[in-house]
Amino acid sequence: MKKVLLALLIMLLLFLPFVVKSQYILSLMITLFIYVILAESWNLLGGYTGQVSLGHGAFFGVGALVTRLLWVNKIPIFLSLPLGGIGAALLAAIVGIPCFRMRLAYFPIGTLALSMIALLTVSNIFIAAGALSTDLLKSYEIFSRYYLALCIVLLSIITIHYLVRSRPGLAIVAIRDNEKAAAAIGIKTLKYKTLALLTSTFLAGLAGGIYAYQHVSYYYDAPFDLTWSFTPPLTTFIGGISTIAGPIVGSICFLALSEIFAVTLGQVHVLIFGFCFILIVLFLPGGILSMKMATLKSLKRKIESPKVD
Amino acid sequence: MLQTLAYGILNGLLYSIIALGISLVFGVMRYLNIAHGSLIILGSYGSLYLFRLGLDPFISIPILMPSLFLAGILLFKLLYSNFVSLVEGLRIQKSLLVSFGLMLVIDNGATLVWTSDEKSITPFYSGMSFELFRGFHVPLIGLAGGILAIIVIIALHLFFSRTYFGKSVIAVSQDPEAASLMGVNVKQAFLISFGLSVCLGAIPSVLVGLQAFSPSVGIQWFNKGIIVVMLGGLGNIYGTFPAGLFLGIVEAISVFFFGAPYREITGLVIFVLVLILFPKGLFGRIPE
Repeated sequence: MKKVLLALLIMLLLFLPFVVKSQYILSLMITLFIYVILAESWNLLGGYTGQVSLGHGAFFGVGALVTRLLWVNKIPIFLSLPLGGIGAALLAAIVGIPCFRMRLAYFPIGTLALSMIALLTVSNIFIAAGALSTDLLKSYEIFSRYYLALCIVLLSIITIHYLVRSRPGLAIVAIRDNEKAAAAIGIKTLKYKTLALLTSTFLAGLAGGIYAYQHVSYYYDAPFDLTWSFTPPLTTFIGGISTIAGPIVGSICFLALSEIFAVTLGQVHVLIFGFCFILIVLFLPGGILSMKMATLKSLKRKIESPKVD
Repeated sequence: MLQTLAYGILNGLLYSIIALGISLVFGVMRYLNIAHGSLIILGSYGSLYLFRLGLDPFISIPILMPSLFLAGILLFKLLYSNFVSLVEGLRIQKSLLVSFGLMLVIDNGATLVWTSDEKSITPFYSGMSFELFRGFHVPLIGLAGGILAIIVIIALHLFFSRTYFGKSVIAVSQDPEAASLMGVNVKQAFLISFGLSVCLGAIPSVLVGLQAFSPSVGIQWFNKGIIVVMLGGLGNIYGTFPAGLFLGIVEAISVFFFGAPYREITGLVIFVLVLILFPKGLFGRIPE
């Protein structure tokens, strides 16, 4: 049943561009895909590995920057996109791994500082907006962007789904639950944390690459903006942390809210999401998904209990 | 060069006092309050309102302090009191997440109420400076702020070393369990330290308000503060003072050599380097 639904959903997404011709809807879907990839990759690190990153925007931005610069200079997107991901992972290796060696709150703060360094550096170096050359502008069409984004979303969801169920994935979850105990039974904690970090930042870099490929013209520091760092934890927590479906649900809610309020009140959706975020951290650590499951269970009990009595 | 150094020292004092608020909360209860910078900016808006009513920004500090203290107590009761009994790692993570949400709420709420425009408190003496000797100017506001910061640091030191309650807070920071066995009310110590931390924000509130502020700069000031805290050694309250001066001076020197746009980056790069090379901070230790 679940598999049939899933296959149906994927088919629907595959045929969407043939049914819906609206550029607006398609580019909205691409934005949604970017949010989902970013949130899923954050979830691998923040949810399954237990390392809260407040600077995912830095990896997203580096992915966007590398991909854009390579692509504009006539390197095909199928090559420049993975290179952007590798660039992001490289940055993570340089800064993230030293942070892992330390306990306490070093990782979140280190990544936050990193994203600020990246933002300031890039906005100082690249002052002008990056527009496309006429050749690239002529060949611009939204279909290839849509399918590329869809491919990467599926790729990242499948990767994370199988990674967390594999042996290394079990090690990663064990480290999150109790690092000392995990080390005591012979898990190389640093190795597995690094694996999660590199996978996660690689995917974040790919998401950045899609952003660079999608937008015709933007300031180079736009993908380094701190909102790209703050959105993934928001959406992941609100949807349901440490689940595959959680970040997707959260991203859909976030994008829907931001579209509703975009015309009228600017940043209200972040205000609402921040408020929900606090409530969820305090009272509902499982997010929206867990709420649904709990109510379903209680409903089931209500339906079944009269028969038992 | 001497001039640059003076500016660096005055900035450094501002950094230390922001860091002190963050460090107090972290050192005593292992809470990481990311919203600290946003609370400071909230105080700046308060100070701006009082200034428009005709009150000098420095006189508004005694009004801001108790109101921020109450706000801190309220926030603790509402948001943070549930984590008191958690283990250290979880306490850091949960408080970090909650304050992250709080920061987003404050920043975006402030944008709604006051728009994202940059504002600044401008009394008649803003921008004034006096010439100590030939070619060496001292900005009036910076000097007043620096003196205030030193007074607060000394007062806080006396509070922790001389009063009974201050000593009990230090005891809690060293070992909450042992302190509670000795009859210290740990929850109360947490509550008061949190209130005190937010209340300390009143001074940077006014000093930042006299420069320029907007709802989005809270995170930048928090970042300055946390860099100083980590340079001084996470959890080491006394390390913040030299570390703040260090950061201020290094930033000033970097402006001298590389120009103003790279000032922020220098601080952050030093931070990352220190994180990698001296994980225990320049002036301290990580308490076990």
